Amino acid sequence: MPENPTSTRALRLGVAGPVGTGKSSLIATLCRELAGELAMAVVTNDIYTDEDARFLRSAGVLDHERIHAVQTGACPHTAIRDDITANLDAVEDLELAFAPLDLVLVESGGDNLTATFSPALVDTQVFCLDVAGGGDVARKGGPGITSADLLVVNKSDLAPFVGVDVGRMVADGEKAREGRPVLALARSDTAAVERLCSWVRGVLADHREGRHTPRDPGPMAPHTHAVDGHEHGHGH
Amino acid sequence: MGDTTDGTGALGVLLLADARLPTGAHAHSATLEAALAAGLRTEQIPDYIRARLRGVARAEAAAAVLALRAARENPVDFAPIQAALAARTPSRALRDASASLGRGLTRLARGLFPEHSAVAALATAPDDTPGLRVLRPIPLGALGAAFGMAVDQVARAALYDEAQCVAAAALKLRPGDPIAATRWVVDAAPDIEESVRVAVGATVPGDVPARSAPQLDRWAGAHAYSTRRLFVA
Ligand SMILES: Nc1nc2c(ncn2[C@@H]2O[C@H](COP(=O)(O)OP(=O)(O)O)[C@@H](O)[C@H]2O)c(=O)[nH]1
Ligand SMILES: [Mg+2]
Repeated sequence: MPENPTSTRALRLGVAGPVGTGKSSLIATLCRELAGELAMAVVTNDIYTDEDARFLRSAGVLDHERIHAVQTGACPHTAIRDDITANLDAVEDLELAFAPLDLVLVESGGDNLTATFSPALVDTQVFCLDVAGGGDVARKGGPGITSADLLVVNKSDLAPFVGVDVGRMVADGEKAREGRPVLALARSDTAAVERLCSWVRGVLADHREGRHTPRDPGPMAPHTHAVDGHEHGHGH
Repeated sequence: MGDTTDGTGALGVLLLADARLPTGAHAHSATLEAALAAGLRTEQIPDYIRARLRGVARAEAAAAVLALRAARENPVDFAPIQAALAARTPSRALRDASASLGRGLTRLARGLFPEHSAVAALATAPDDTPGLRVLRPIPLGALGAAFGMAVDQVARAALYDEAQCVAAAALKLRPGDPIAATRWVVDAAPDIEESVRVAVGATVPGDVPARSAPQLDRWAGAHAYSTRRLFVA
């Protein structure tokens, strides 16, 4: 668990999901929308370059020094799950340099559907899919999809061009998630962006009041099949 | 002699040598990424391992031995060892790499043995090196004390880790057979043992070998500014 789980520490929010689903863009959106009301910083886990950090810096939504890139030795999965050292170091450095912070966002290096954050690194996590990755992805499950605190179905504006039914994809996600929230998002959709921000504000309020407990989606969270009702400890 | 050891420190030896230890080492290449970028050829990697074992790693192993001995004193004072190693590591990038690994090991030591006097003393280790966090060998020595390891075990762990760090990074950076990479480490055994002997012989901070290599220092320095890299150092 995080070393200092008091309500005065910044909320650490992780954003995971496959490459290209819009994680950096989502973080840029959150910075743009929330930087006026919250003290924020970002850690990126680039695979090979510092592209994500540079993209965020060039987006001009946050001071450059508040965006820190860590290298993951080609193991983005390890760096957010079984050896979180580099990320903890970065988060702690930012929290110290810009104290007091309200919110630290951690973008995972894009990985496969099994990559989720350790609850020792982040307090809450968003798993990001996009419609362009295929309408059936939400049905494929995996710990991020079934158990992240929020599932985002991103780039909903592209749905007509890739033949995906967003409503269907959201319903698939909801079915897999036992009531945990699913949000269809496009950065151009102001109402959806506002819903995303409200969700973040809600988690932050819970965190400050001590009502929020980090929960682990797990590398392979047990889940229930609607058809046969059996518990499984494995993915598919 | 029976056919078992007495077990002192044996688990510590395995843990400190295990790449699964959560200390951030998987993001390090022991400067190999920069060396390859600068033109080092794959077939020269065994030479590179030997150079690291005789240079940077030997100095770190000696400092780890001194740290383990200091960890058994009362009170524990790591500061002179940290200062001696820092003075013998002219490359800022290499000091930073060691400090980054030291930070991970320190977090691990504090998590595992919060009450141990050597672990508590890690806080004052950088007293004589302002601006520099605790270097890798210091928490290695503290962990060695907590596990009840012998000095040669800690030295060998530091040296083995160095060789394995290069070999593992090589597999990510160049095409190659993982068994061939393991052979590089096995073949480095005489160099590891030679450096263990030197390290164990260190009794005062001034004994830490000063064996920096200008070419390595340059590569390490250039890597810190690279924007295309898999490894932090
Ligand atoms: N149409 C559309 N494109 C988006 C949206 N969000 C991100 N993108 C694009 O998707 C691509 C990948 O986005 P990025 O944020 O870098 O993804 P990451 O790899 O998950 O960080 C970029 O070309 C973005 O411009 C969105 O809401 N709608
Ligand atoms: Mg990105």
